[in-house]
Amino acid sequence: MYSAILRLGNFIGLLFMTIFVALATLSKTEAQTPSDALMMKKSELCIAALYQHDTWDHYWEGTLLRENLNIGTLTRTNVMPMIAYGITERLNVILSLPYVSTSASGGQMAGVSGFQDFSIFAKYKILNLEKTSGSFQTFGTVGYSLPATSYLSDYMPLNLGLGTNELSARVIMKYEHNSGLYLRGSFAYLYRTTTETERDYYYADKGIYSSTMDVPNTTTVDGALGAWLFDRSIQLEVGAVKNTAQSGDDIRRQNAPQPTNKMNMSNVNAYLRFFPKFFSGFSIIAGYTQVLEGRNIGKSTILTGGLTYQFSTKKQIAQ
Amino acid sequence: MKTLKYTLFLITLLTVLFISCSKDYPTGSEFDPYTFSGTDQNGGEWKPILLTSNEQIIIDAPSSTTSDAYKAELGAMKTAISSNAEADAIAYWGNNPIVRWNEIARELAAKYNLTPAPNADGTYPAPSAAKPDVYPYFPFAHPPYACRAFAYLSTAQLDGLIAAWHYKYKFNRPAVHITDNTIKSAFPTNDLPSYPSDGAVIAAVSRDILSALFPLEKQYIKDKADEMKRSLIAAGINVESDISAGDSLGRGIAKVFLKRASTDGMSKAQVSKAVSDSLRTVALARFGWEWSNQESPQRPVGIAPFYGKLKLWSVPNVESVRPLPPPAPGSADFNKAADELKTIAANLTNEQRRIANWWSDGLGTYTPPGHWNRVATDNIIKYKMNPLRSARVFAYLNMAIQDAGISCWDAKYYYHYPRPIQSMIGFKTILGTPNFPSYTSGHSTFSAAAATFLSYIFPAEKTQFDAMAHEASESRIYGGIHFRFDCEAGLEAGKKIAEFTIQKAITDGSN
Repeated sequence: MYSAILRLGNFIGLLFMTIFVALATLSKTEAQTPSDALMMKKSELCIAALYQHDTWDHYWEGTLLRENLNIGTLTRTNVMPMIAYGITERLNVILSLPYVSTSASGGQMAGVSGFQDFSIFAKYKILNLEKTSGSFQTFGTVGYSLPATSYLSDYMPLNLGLGTNELSARVIMKYEHNSGLYLRGSFAYLYRTTTETERDYYYADKGIYSSTMDVPNTTTVDGALGAWLFDRSIQLEVGAVKNTAQSGDDIRRQNAPQPTNKMNMSNVNAYLRFFPKFFSGFSIIAGYTQVLEGRNIGKSTILTGGLTYQFSTKKQIAQ
Repeated sequence: MKTLKYTLFLITLLTVLFISCSKDYPTGSEFDPYTFSGTDQNGGEWKPILLTSNEQIIIDAPSSTTSDAYKAELGAMKTAISSNAEADAIAYWGNNPIVRWNEIARELAAKYNLTPAPNADGTYPAPSAAKPDVYPYFPFAHPPYACRAFAYLSTAQLDGLIAAWHYKYKFNRPAVHITDNTIKSAFPTNDLPSYPSDGAVIAAVSRDILSALFPLEKQYIKDKADEMKRSLIAAGINVESDISAGDSLGRGIAKVFLKRASTDGMSKAQVSKAVSDSLRTVALARFGWEWSNQESPQRPVGIAPFYGKLKLWSVPNVESVRPLPPPAPGSADFNKAADELKTIAANLTNEQRRIANWWSDGLGTYTPPGHWNRVATDNIIKYKMNPLRSARVFAYLNMAIQDAGISCWDAKYYYHYPRPIQSMIGFKTILGTPNFPSYTSGHSTFSAAAATFLSYIFPAEKTQFDAMAHEASESRIYGGIHFRFDCEAGLEAGKKIAEFTIQKAITDGSN
């Protein structure tokens, strides 16, 4: 026991030392996600691995927040390899394919795991206004995702994903002050196709004789306040997201959810990213998300960790 | 800026593609009005299910087709036809409304097939027929309740149509398209006399039976019945006096069936915890095993423990079809079946998963009996049956299915056999385990009874029906919620039960 504490102490010490060293030797490399306001330079490649640990023990059955001991705590982990590439200074593409695992601590339903949806995003820098006090930028993102495997979406809440093709269009706006403080907001519309189930009758406000389910289109709005600290070696951000389904039915009382449900969600989140100089091109990501309000969705707490590595392909070829 | 233009173009294009993908889904079988394969002129002399005679419910003789009253009704019909206000209703109901009422019953089953949520203190409330609108709403349309509803609906429809056919040929009021050839029927014409309206009999019987079984839906059901009756006039099929005579006949028929329903034992099928516990105690003493619900919080009573005591339609007594006991947990036969479940769960193929889900028909759906009613519907349309023949198929099918349910529930609570998740520690499933004992499999019993009876009606489809029943049975093994011996015993019992139904059907005078 004592030695475990000692080891933990050593680990924390090492961590602080790492941060200290990193702060002293700074890097300005940036990598990105579809919803942030970061761009990479032409021919730059970023490889990332993100890990998400999502748990909930309460969920909204329609608008009723409840527990269900036959689910207990639902855990969803998500390992997401990602590649981003700078086609031009203004145009980046991002590819990803998450591997998802689900399990429930209560009841007897089997969890599942497998690759979820393959997605591709293009991010375009529409506007870049440089002022003496700071800069204002506008980005547009278009994304498309589709199931990578034949997973069953109609196995909620243990399903890997919604089993739908999704087209998303997002507009991002960002103002950054010269001090490194920034404000970012985005709005996205997610068009979703249908999903195929393994039964050809289901009830969604009425009896439907089809194996195809409509998955509601969704809007998502998010806002964030962030800061670049220590000569841009640390990015710190707090934000909030609100997803609103444009149609869909509620989970009926004591019934299982299904992909036709109107899934709304509001969360708050915090995000930290660290660019150590001594590992040039690397960054470490840590995030925390708490769902506050929802409808037909779990009240999730999500921990995120990640590692990114960014380098210029041109430079390496030139060398 | 060029890139931006392309991006916007792409967004627009994909948006259009996506929007055009969304569509209206079918809410029932889609069929065009068809010419009946026959009109069964002797249908009025078929043996009814509960009626003691085809004139047990009396209706008045119709007025003559030369009377002013009749001519006035024809005038009203012409007004209704020219207004075209009922076009959607005519298209919806078509010329075989038996199919639509069966679908409505399936939809109500799906809507009410929800298990009560626990109270905050871990206890469970129970639905009450006396207070249907207090949560949990009445009824909980689990498979035993649903198959009983299908049985009453379709047997009452059959007796109603037998009586209607009898009066049609007794009074011989010619069809409207014959009395007035300027009126064009919306459906292919036939020589069926029009009084009383067989459609109105169906509407009235269905309305009264379903309203009693799903009391909170009374208004919804009445609206459907009223719409259907209006559509019969607007379709040029029946005048008002045909309709009112049919409605009156239907009301009388429904009363006969609701009387049976009030004394068939259903009101006593859901027992108290004390009674439920005594069944467990008896099973433990007699067999050395017992079933307990595995949910959290634990449900104190399974679904309908005394459903096995309900009045049977065709089987002389429930003990005569009760299967032999299952193997004891821990025995070699049991271990073999348990090992099979573990092996399947560990190596589940996509096809096995698909089969498990395809036949699952669990909570929130129309139940396995609903699934088989749908199969029957498809074949009724395929073989272009008239409403009387369709009602006969549904009536005997659902009597076979309910008898199968009663027999299966008798075995379930007599043997009180534990589910795989109870006797196999740590075993996980891909389907939810229902709240009643394992032996025998309800899906297997229902499906074998349905497939056997439907094969008698549609012999050319026998191979297909048998394959479906076997797949439905097997699906429970893939789902991890039944042992193979549960399923095999259920299939065997279901087949045996349907033979009683077939014997009854053979002698009803329709062949």
